[in-house]
Amino acid sequence: MSTVSRRSFVKGGSLFAGVSALGLVACGGSGSSTAESATDASTESTADSSAESTAESTATTAESAEPMLVNEGKLTCISNMYFPPFEFMDEKTGEPMGFDIDLSKAIAEHMGLEANWTKESNMGFDTLVPTIKSIDYSSGKAKGKADIAIAGMTITDKRKQEVDMSDPYLDSNQSLITRVDSTETLESLDARGKQIAVQDGTTGEEWARENLPVADASKGIVKLDDVINAMNGLNSKSYDAVITDLPVAMYQIEIEKNYPDLQIAEPIPTGEQYGIAVSKDNPALTAAINEALAAVIADGTMKKLQVKWFGSEV
Amino acid sequence: MMSKRHSNHALRALMACVAAMVALAILPSAAFALTTSKATARPNEDGGTGVIGGIPTRLTWEGTVDAGEQISGVTLELPAGTNFNSSTTKLTALEGLKRMSVEGEVVPEGSSLKVKFSEPVGEGLLIRLEVEGMTFPEEGGDVVVGGTYTESGKEKPLQAAKPIATIANTPLQKLVDHLDNQDWVAAWNSVQFLGMFLKPQIMVTSFASLFTGWLVCLFIVIVAYPFAIILGLIFALMKISKHRLLRAIAIVYINVLRGTPLFLQIYIMFFGLPMMNIVIDNNILGIIVMAINSSAYLAEIFRAGIESIPTGQYEAAASLGMGHLQTMIYVILPQTVRRVIPTVTSDFIMAFKDTSLLSSVGVMELMMFAKNLTSVTGNMTPYVTAAIFYLIVTLPLIKVVTIIEKRMANSERGGGPRPKVKAAAEKDAQDETSSAGAEPSLAEALSAPFKAGTSVFGGVADVR
Repeated sequence: MSTVSRRSFVKGGSLFAGVSALGLVACGGSGSSTAESATDASTESTADSSAESTAESTATTAESAEPMLVNEGKLTCISNMYFPPFEFMDEKTGEPMGFDIDLSKAIAEHMGLEANWTKESNMGFDTLVPTIKSIDYSSGKAKGKADIAIAGMTITDKRKQEVDMSDPYLDSNQSLITRVDSTETLESLDARGKQIAVQDGTTGEEWARENLPVADASKGIVKLDDVINAMNGLNSKSYDAVITDLPVAMYQIEIEKNYPDLQIAEPIPTGEQYGIAVSKDNPALTAAINEALAAVIADGTMKKLQVKWFGSEV
Repeated sequence: MMSKRHSNHALRALMACVAAMVALAILPSAAFALTTSKATARPNEDGGTGVIGGIPTRLTWEGTVDAGEQISGVTLELPAGTNFNSSTTKLTALEGLKRMSVEGEVVPEGSSLKVKFSEPVGEGLLIRLEVEGMTFPEEGGDVVVGGTYTESGKEKPLQAAKPIATIANTPLQKLVDHLDNQDWVAAWNSVQFLGMFLKPQIMVTSFASLFTGWLVCLFIVIVAYPFAIILGLIFALMKISKHRLLRAIAIVYINVLRGTPLFLQIYIMFFGLPMMNIVIDNNILGIIVMAINSSAYLAEIFRAGIESIPTGQYEAAASLGMGHLQTMIYVILPQTVRRVIPTVTSDFIMAFKDTSLLSSVGVMELMMFAKNLTSVTGNMTPYVTAAIFYLIVTLPLIKVVTIIEKRMANSERGGGPRPKVKAAAEKDAQDETSSAGAEPSLAEALSAPFKAGTSVFGGVADVR
């Protein structure tokens, strides 16, 4: 028995090594001919421009300056996969899915590229901006993990100091989630001993710290890796409330009804807007994404995606 | 559930009515057309929660336009010393939760900020001004945001919002500001690696703010460890017990805890217990989890330690007429303690590092502080600082383990200082008398591994 399992283990190990070697080869070859690929992409998209009205704009972008890409022909994305309905992993297959994933595919299509989502696309939300910022374009080729971060990320001045943000693609607000048997309000939560769970590095965290200073000073703002943890913790009474983006709260509580014991106590109007993070050193990519985004909004794809994931247009 | 929700709403509505009536009674008849909801400022203390004066931050001001009113401009007036000059302002208008497009001209004038909307903002809309890069007065204190607004060509006073508590600059922040202006710092940070992992400014602030987290880590592991040792000893004795049931319990306990990740155990305890309505403070729960987890590893270490004592020791004890319990307490365990010290120290190092996993459930320990700072600054330096804090504890302990192991190996090989032949003979004679009479004290037994030339048998293999 033991020899069999050991042998299969060894086999598995060599298989893994093989796969990772392949991966390395693929990575090594990736940055080699970005310019070629972009030209290819543009000719392709001009070829079937009869079908797509927006292909012209893609072609013009490719002419003016070519966006540098980590993987040629692909728009490689990263996100934090615990933020449904924007991005999450399919329960069975582990495939990334959600509004942002679909949007990235639509944008990539308009750019004549393929959206590249893998299991490695999932990262901590707090590391997304540093990762995009650290892509190295100094050699004229992109060296890094991904081209863009699309993660329900609000456009803020602080983030704009680190990376470029695309044009806004969705309006959002914050929300206060409590248990249905709770009478907590935003006023009552700003007190010592209250525990408010937020996702680390989000505008929800920022809002909580700014607007609940008493709770914050007594270490009452609990920063967690993801919003699912926060809601589970609230559900199991570890925390008194959760502050997170309204669309996420709506999806979990009112559309999917995953948390019958939780309620959206108050929506918090903040009028924030989501954008896509791109490196400051790759302005051609930002421009191309903005154009593709405009096209996706103009051709009604955006509305379709909103209906698909939020049940209605936002 | 639904009825509860309704009653909640009803109660809230009633309260709102009462509040409105009280407000009507108190306020003069010329009610404000622009109701100030609030004015807040983003904390700008690196790693802290304070709003520091004299350092750029973001002021957020919100006001709702009352029924039948049109607002064409707002002027915020703050106490002297406030500076809006290098600020940028984001204008947002919201109808309920729907974002409306609003354009306007913003003119900063020293301690006041003039906003002129290109189209008057209509009733019911919430106006949000986010003023990034403004500074509050350097001396700190409560800042009242007042001012005026323009309604159909007339200027009216703004209802003052709840004051914003600000503080004067801290020495630490001054040091950071000093570093900000240094040429070498700029040169250093321009190298991508150094700027990302070893940024001096963030190093300084993170050392200060991570310190509390480091203390929490130490506190958790130092409080947890004695419990772990006691529990571990109990389960070790149970595992070598002659009773089948005790043995079975110990085996299940040890194997389940050693066979599952600590991360999983933390999740089960932190999210499971509250669901059973057992609410325990996060830090104490952290101590409990760490103690239980370590106890399983320690039980194995102790068991291996006890079993490594030669059978001759038991026989010798039996020949002296000692019972099983007596043998354990006076003969076996004292020798075991000496042998397991290096392995237990290694386990302590493990446990100390493993406290970092508690950050995932919101225990405010070292890793948590580092993560927060990284997410705020978008820089990896706090993680490097955290690494230094861990090393402060672990490096000396690793050194201790190495020294003990060397000494043990040395004495096992028969190394160490050799007494002269005559002295040795005398000592042998002395040893014979002393071993029959007085037993070595606990302190002697414990310190034996640290002393050169003490006769100790081999150490226990690291079971982890």
